[in-house]
Amino acid sequence: MCVRLESYESEEHQKMVRSFLDGRFENTAFCLLAPDGETRLSGTGRSPSQGLRQRRGPGRGRGDNGVVEAMEKVAKKFRAKGTKEGAILQDFHSFRQGLNVASGDQRLLIFVVATENDRKTLGTDLRDLMSDKEIIGKFHMDFADEEPDSQWRDAVKGERGNTGIFVIRANAFGQTGSVMEQLPVDATPEELKNALLEANTSFAKTEKRKVYSEHVAAGRRARVHFENGMPYGEDRDGDGVIDHRAGRGGRGAGPEAGERRGPPAGRRGGPPRGNRRPGQPPQRPRIRPGGTE
Amino acid sequence: MKAAHVFWISIFSGGLALAQGPRPDDLGASPQPVGEAGVAWYTTWETARAEAERSNRPIFFMAAAATCSGISGVF
Repeated sequence: MCVRLESYESEEHQKMVRSFLDGRFENTAFCLLAPDGETRLSGTGRSPSQGLRQRRGPGRGRGDNGVVEAMEKVAKKFRAKGTKEGAILQDFHSFRQGLNVASGDQRLLIFVVATENDRKTLGTDLRDLMSDKEIIGKFHMDFADEEPDSQWRDAVKGERGNTGIFVIRANAFGQTGSVMEQLPVDATPEELKNALLEANTSFAKTEKRKVYSEHVAAGRRARVHFENGMPYGEDRDGDGVIDHRAGRGGRGAGPEAGERRGPPAGRRGGPPRGNRRPGQPPQRPRIRPGGTE
Repeated sequence: MKAAHVFWISIFSGGLALAQGPRPDDLGASPQPVGEAGVAWYTTWETARAEAERSNRPIFFMAAAATCSGISGVF
């Protein structure tokens, strides 16, 4: 099973990243872990090829194949138990982050707003549906929490009532959204499945796939900024202090949290950087989820 | 499975770039069509660990920024 944490969401997440990178903090970290969540089954690193190759033995491969082989070899060591339909449901620490991630992945967000008792019930009752082969991997899901999500309505248009299962389409920058479908918390699984599939079909027909370089450029022009839980920037020397390097344009290398800033000097409207030649189509994304369960 | 291959190929092909830190202008479009199934991510450590223990399956751990230069809507 796969977990993807937002590196800048909290100090706790950054501590985890540092634990995998020998005390350094960088935007990304990869590792394979045993089901206990503690025993490491691979090396660690900021890229899959650095992190996921096994430390010794066959499977310490060349390039992509070595990583996949290492993952397959690790998976075979464990006999899965429990049913697929009993899988614990996804949740976010906050609606705000869920909306942002849904936007980034270009998926619809299922947002459950209900009493605590109903949330507990739905957390079990919806497992079967969310494991359905027609549903799994197509949506993100979040259960509203009292404290961090009290202002969720401010970011969303089209909601009605105080509770419900909301199917939300995030805007391009994941800071606002609109309700595509809304069902009562006691909707049947069939009703919910039909609504989800219908919304996803509509979404797929009307959502333009993002080209991330263009998205970032548009965000700079619009002075978009997402204030995360931790200051942006990396600590590559592992001294516990975020490095400030002029000209760093990588993910997370933007302004300090809370600071709104436009593009770096000389970047606005300038030619594309990187290895892409003029006229060459955008490259395959360097970090990008896709795949399947 | 096709979608899985799209994911793993795309993510592994970025290995070198990740090691150096990608620049925003290096980022293209996702190879995955909108609306198709992708990875069923867990997005909190608590739920991930609970599911791993429940199902006795190993964990693919990834941490990344859901922003690029402070701009949201990218993951």
